[in-house]
Amino acid sequence: MIAPVRALQRPQGGLAGLWLALVIAAALLAPILSPYAFDAQDLPNAYRPASAAHWLGTDEFGRDLLTRLVWGARTSLSVAATAIAISVFCGMVLGAAAAWFGGWLDRAVTVVVDLTWSFPEILIALILVAIIGPGTLGTMIAISVAYLAQFTRLTRAQILTLKGETFIEAARSLGASNGHILFRHLLPNALAPVLVSAMLATGDAIILEATLGFFGLGAQPPVPSWGGMMSAGSALVFKAPWIIIYPGLAVAITVVAINLYGDALIAALDIRQKLRRSP
Amino acid sequence: MTHFFRKTLLSASVSLAALIAAQAASAQEAVFVMATNEVGAPTYNPIKATMLNTATGLIFDRLVSQAADLSYHPWLAESWEEAPDGMSWTFHLKQGVTFHNGEPFNAEAVKAWLELFKAAEGENAYMAEAIASVEVVDDHTVKFVMSRPEPNLLYNLSATFMGVVEPKSFAALGDDFGVTEAYGTGPFKLESFTIGQETVLVRNDDYTWGPAVAANHGPAKVERLTFREIPEDSTAFLELKTGGVDFLLSVPADLTAEVQKEANLAILTMPGQDVWYMPINVTKAPFDDIRVREAAAKAINQEEILASVFGGVGAVADTFLISALPESHVSDGAKIHYDPDRSNALLDEAGWAMGPDGVRMKDGQPLKVTLWTQSDSIFRRLTEVVQAQLKAVGIEAEITTFDSSMIRDQYKTGEQQLAVRSYNWDNADIVDWFFGGDRLGYPNVSMFNDPKAEELRAAAMTGSKNMDERVANFTAYHEYVLTQFPMAPIYQPVQAYAYNKDRIALPEKIDASAFGASAFLDLEVKQ
Repeated sequence: MIAPVRALQRPQGGLAGLWLALVIAAALLAPILSPYAFDAQDLPNAYRPASAAHWLGTDEFGRDLLTRLVWGARTSLSVAATAIAISVFCGMVLGAAAAWFGGWLDRAVTVVVDLTWSFPEILIALILVAIIGPGTLGTMIAISVAYLAQFTRLTRAQILTLKGETFIEAARSLGASNGHILFRHLLPNALAPVLVSAMLATGDAIILEATLGFFGLGAQPPVPSWGGMMSAGSALVFKAPWIIIYPGLAVAITVVAINLYGDALIAALDIRQKLRRSP
Repeated sequence: MTHFFRKTLLSASVSLAALIAAQAASAQEAVFVMATNEVGAPTYNPIKATMLNTATGLIFDRLVSQAADLSYHPWLAESWEEAPDGMSWTFHLKQGVTFHNGEPFNAEAVKAWLELFKAAEGENAYMAEAIASVEVVDDHTVKFVMSRPEPNLLYNLSATFMGVVEPKSFAALGDDFGVTEAYGTGPFKLESFTIGQETVLVRNDDYTWGPAVAANHGPAKVERLTFREIPEDSTAFLELKTGGVDFLLSVPADLTAEVQKEANLAILTMPGQDVWYMPINVTKAPFDDIRVREAAAKAINQEEILASVFGGVGAVADTFLISALPESHVSDGAKIHYDPDRSNALLDEAGWAMGPDGVRMKDGQPLKVTLWTQSDSIFRRLTEVVQAQLKAVGIEAEITTFDSSMIRDQYKTGEQQLAVRSYNWDNADIVDWFFGGDRLGYPNVSMFNDPKAEELRAAAMTGSKNMDERVANFTAYHEYVLTQFPMAPIYQPVQAYAYNKDRIALPEKIDASAFGASAFLDLEVKQ
């Protein structure tokens, strides 16, 4: 049985997986699920608490909060997942190339990566968004660059360990090309830890996306994002606390779920044991 | 052992005494939060700055003060006379006034200051433009020789921009004046200034020359003022509620109810000087077409905004000026009101046909524009309502949010199409400031440069011999600008301040046009 499914069989993994499946389904089906348009203002009905018509109440423009939460999931998840995917891909290519070819390429990559590694992700992301300009695309690029160092370093370390293994030597002595060894032998073996780390980084990326959204640098209104909703709600916390509470809960629960599932995945993949066995 | 114990006890009691003393001193201090639209002022240089905050008016006195009824009263000038033909003014200065650095304030200083003001040739130079030269009559009398009559001279002299700076240090410090050091004759001295964060002022103990409109002529009752810059109104409110600060110099309408719920907090309101509006960049397509500009302007439903965003506090704006100014009384046809039918008709006429998704199209292009706003929550909220109102007539506006202290630099690029912003001023010359053809980008966010407007502007700014003429000329200029739709007026608030009643005692009456030096002289901190 494949590891992601095995992870679900662990109790915390199963609960987390259920929540994540729910959020992902909500994000995918947002246009079908939501009874209102996410930007449909109804000013006379602003600041309404939860009711039959609006299950989670309305925001400061009378927009349905549940609708915006579901659409916000779409923004937050797609930005975080896409950014991490880009980051993983670029990080693996850079890390593998650096470790395999060594020499000046390794030194150059390491210097640049270590330089960005020395700053907190939020700082790098803020600088990049300031340069690119606010919006979904800017946030995506900023987050992917912010996490690039992590995946480059991880891949490089994995490949460096594997590079000396006997089976690689064997492949080489059999006349395998650089590309063959990299793509058939090294990367598949380095993949598992990178994927787990990507899973956990996605949780951080959701927080980062929410942070940028909170500063007004993420998705621009009226497109909802969890961070943007919390930012608007923070000014209204006395008047209509539910505007900030629901997106806050959504971010918190989703990030916890991702971490729990990530932990279950580590156990299911048996990575710790594998790492212990390798010299 | 005993010795050691005694020594410790002694030092402990000494530090306790010091602590009590420090607390007593802190009772003479007050912490203010700067108005959110004054956040990010980069300098206390009144000659060169294009934006000055409340603290500036406490460092630099002016020759003339203005009362709540907009009449003029003595301050650094004891009295003045205007020549019958308006071609000269004589000012009699107060005696015994010194600058913070010990230099005397006299006729020579006024002459040197005005020469610096004119030499700076910055955005503010227009205020002293009509003064051809300054003659020192005697040590405490100066005569302004005018190049033309200037009915607005007393207003200009009462404005913060014409705060009297100490000329020697101004020349010596260059661009550091107003940032590292600043010397005026005001009731408070600049102690420290961290741009965008905090300004600390200490009392000028020698001060005895307060404006005539204040009950106390000095020195001030509070020893030390800290001005913090908090760009977010709700954060500032929380600080006030928890006792971190004593006074907010601006409270948005939607928070006043929250302030009133607190037993120890109070609201002070004064007539508003703000106008909220939507500048329209007349050089950027599709807004180079006046029909599209008018359509966008008339899509703004001011009544709905007043009711829903500002809780019904304040008034709608239908011209560019606050309604207290006589120049705001333009003909009814020039006033800009919500008129969706007219908007739709104009857009149809301009060739923008309604598309299937509610966005108008022309030659296969959707009617998509950018709408800039600043990061304060009240701006963002208002902007989202404006966005929805534009959408209702088929204009899709994409919001871009900029940091409140950065947005002025962004305007200078001239890339904006629509924006939501506000200004604070109580003189009709603000029309010149925001729509003058030589200030494109910022302050002229609308990039408006129209030959007829420039003609009317010249007449209004420099061609008026007396106040009646000035009002007539400015009304004509203002009216013409409105008919070109370089902006849509939205809202005029009342100016609301919030303070901690347990800490601050306000004078019964503040006889000034704004909460400035006279209010700060009379203000007390409760023990």
